[in-house]
This record gives sequence, C-alpha cells and structure tokens, in this order.
Amino acid sequence: MKVCILEMPSYTYAVKGEKLLKARGYPCEIKRNEFTGSSGCGFSLAVRRSCREAERILERYSVPYKSSREEGG
Amino acid sequence: MPVNFDNAATTFPKPVSVRLAAARAAERYGGNAGRGGHTLAMQSSAAVYSARETIAGAFGAQPENVVFTLNCTHALNMAIQGVMSGGGHMIISSLEHNSVARPAAELAVKRKITLSIAEVFPEDSRTVESFRSLIREDTKAVVCTLASNVTGQLLPWRDIAELCRKHGICFIADGAQACGVIEIDMGSGINILCAAGHKGLYGLTGTGLLISDGKYPITPIIQGGTGTASASLRQPELLPEALESGTLNIPGIMSLKAGTEFVRRIGIDKIYAHEDRICRRFIEELRDMPEVAFLRREKASYVPIVSFTIKDVLPERAAAEMSEAGYCLRAGYHCAAVAHAYLGTENGTIRFAPSVFSREKDAAELAGFIKNRFKNKKSVKNY
Repeated sequence: MKVCILEMPSYTYAVKGEKLLKARGYPCEIKRNEFTGSSGCGFSLAVRRSCREAERILERYSVPYKSSREEGG
Repeated sequence: MPVNFDNAATTFPKPVSVRLAAARAAERYGGNAGRGGHTLAMQSSAAVYSARETIAGAFGAQPENVVFTLNCTHALNMAIQGVMSGGGHMIISSLEHNSVARPAAELAVKRKITLSIAEVFPEDSRTVESFRSLIREDTKAVVCTLASNVTGQLLPWRDIAELCRKHGICFIADGAQACGVIEIDMGSGINILCAAGHKGLYGLTGTGLLISDGKYPITPIIQGGTGTASASLRQPELLPEALESGTLNIPGIMSLKAGTEFVRRIGIDKIYAHEDRICRRFIEELRDMPEVAFLRREKASYVPIVSFTIKDVLPERAAAEMSEAGYCLRAGYHCAAVAHAYLGTENGTIRFAPSVFSREKDAAELAGFIKNRFKNKKSVKNY
C-alpha cells in the first residue's frame, strides 16, 4: 500500500488537510515529522493514496503543504 | 453577592458550560498544543483546533485565520502595528479605546505613520463622510470600534467597511463591545476583527481573538516558538502560528469555545433584546431625575451600554457609593481619553452594562437607589 507523506506547514493546516481528505474518503492521519532535516520539527499527513491524488485535493482547496514523498509500494 | 453591571469590562458570572470547559481543559489537556507528537500534545492540539473551528463558524471565517490572543488590546496592537509596519496613513475614529489610540499615537509620535481622527456623529451618513474625507492616496488602514466602550454607540461599520473595500484600505475592527451582542460576519467587509474573549463571548479573562480574512499581511510583533519549522530563525508566515508564538492558554481557549457556543445557542438577537430591555428600563426609571444626563443621542444606535453622569457628583464618587450598596458599575474614563475629549465629559462617566444574566428587577432597584441617594441632594461630598 502506497502512503503519501505530505509535510505540512503547521499543525493547523495538517488538521485542515486531514479533514478535507477524510471527508473525500482518503484515509489519513497526522504524524509528527520523523526527519526534522533543515526545516526543523513539524507535522505531516500520512495519506494512504498516491501523492498525486492527495496533492490535487489540497491544491484545489488552497491548503498549503511543504513537500510530498511516497513510501511503500 | 454584588450585582454586576460592569459587564462591558468583563462579563460575570460566566455560564456553567464555560466554567466546566476551563476545568475540563485543566484536567484533560495537559500537553502543549502544536508542540510534539505524543498523545497528550495531540489531544491538546485537536482541542485547540476545534475551538478555532467553532469561532470561525461563528464569525464566517476560516479556522486557520483565527488567532488566539491574550485580550482585545493584544489583538489590536498586533493588527495595527503589523499592518502599518511599512508606514503610511491611518484613520481612527473619535470614539476609540486606548487599545487603538495608544498604539496609533505611538506610531505617529515616532513618525512611523501619519494619523487622522474621524469624528463620529449621531447620524451614520455624517460619520461615513467624516471617514471618507480623510482618505488619502497613502491611507493603508482604517481602525474603528464597532461600538464605543464609553457610550455604546454603534458606528456605521458596514458602510465604513465598504468605503475601505472601494479604496483598497485594510479595515481593522475593534469588536470588544460588539461581539456577542450583534451579528458580525467576516463576509461583511471586515479585514481584521479584534475581539475580547471575556466580554460578550463569555470566555475567561486572558482570552482574545484576532480574526483575519487573509487579505492583508500582518507582520508579527512577537517572535518565538510556534512548534513548526523550528530550524529556521525566521518566524513562519502562515496564520495562525505566525501570530501565536509561545504556549497557548488552553483552558482559556476552551472556555472561549464554550462561551461562543453558549452565545450561539441562546441567539445573539435574544441576548441583545434582553440586555437592551434592561437598559431601557434603567433609563426609564431615571427619566424623572433631572440630575441624571444620559450620553445617548437621538439619531444614533447603541449596544446595551448606558453611560451617564449625575449633576454635581463625580462619577467615581457615585460608583463608589453604588458599590457600597451592592452594585458594580465602572466610572471614569473607561480607558478612552480620546472619546471623552470628544464627548466633553471631563470627569468621565458612570457606565451601566448588563449581561445575559442581568435582571430587570436589579436595574430598577439600582435606579431606585440612585434616585434615593442623589435626587435633590446637595450634600454629596466629592473627594
């Protein structure tokens, strides 16, 4: 199962994105970023769909995200 | 138990649901909202987001544009200094509280902005014209109270908002006395609404709101931890975190959510009607007392606040005697020197401000006390 990890700019936008995606049948949950990397700590959305689908919905509703990557296969 | 008619300063008593919400938050939400991913932190974060949703729903805003502040003054300072950080011209009204007048004056005295004061008249059309006449090419913001904290006079804020929209000016509204007693929707043209959480929204003291429509950037006046992007030394730009540095007042926020729900459950129209009826009764009871002068003008509209003076009695003296008799009313300038200069009330006023819990009977009894103590009396000692 593919999981899309969307790095969100804040917890607030993570919840907004989560509600938006769940309302459209996309299983997802908020996770604390494991890789803090150069930007520091924060929150991500783990969506059990392809990133393309999740990104399309977030963009349609102007919910910003910082980056996306797919895990699993 | 003293009778509180100083609800314009802070409403008391608070609804049971508000008190329970704050107590529950202290019991349950022990994690730091927006910080960390452990169970306690996530529970607190979810609770805070739910409060944003409730408040956004009440004011026609987006949850992410609801910023929790310490009080209305905090919100107004963030809005005024944040929007005017690049300089420009700003207009305020002649009925402003010091929470608007002082930050505006501070910026003007330091020559960071230029400032104009628009006179407020009883007639809405004259007030709007007063604002219109002061607009310049470099006017960046109009800041005005929706209702005066001194007299309760409602300003024609929808017309002022429309004026601002036409000229591309940011309209910052001080909703301290209006939120919870009149319907306010961000769709009506307010760009930034600042409100107290502890007045008409019945939250605990130490709560306030800044609600943006997202059109005008607000440069933060406080920087610090936001729980996100912590490797960067730059403050995040997105609301609400950009303006919420430091740990949030979670019990306060949960009380504000409960207070907002309480107001919506009863209905703003019903609350206004109840408080307005008490104000009218109070005025009516004192109608035959020529020593009492009400600061109400025929063509103006008011929120449920009655400001008055008693001939030859200093307002503070009168309020002290009322307090001894068990009635809590605020006297003096009500932190609004600009308004008193305009109104010509050099010793200030006494302010009667009921809440949804106030009783008509108590207002009538207070009026009876005032008549009994101050009517035809020449022996009141002013210290």
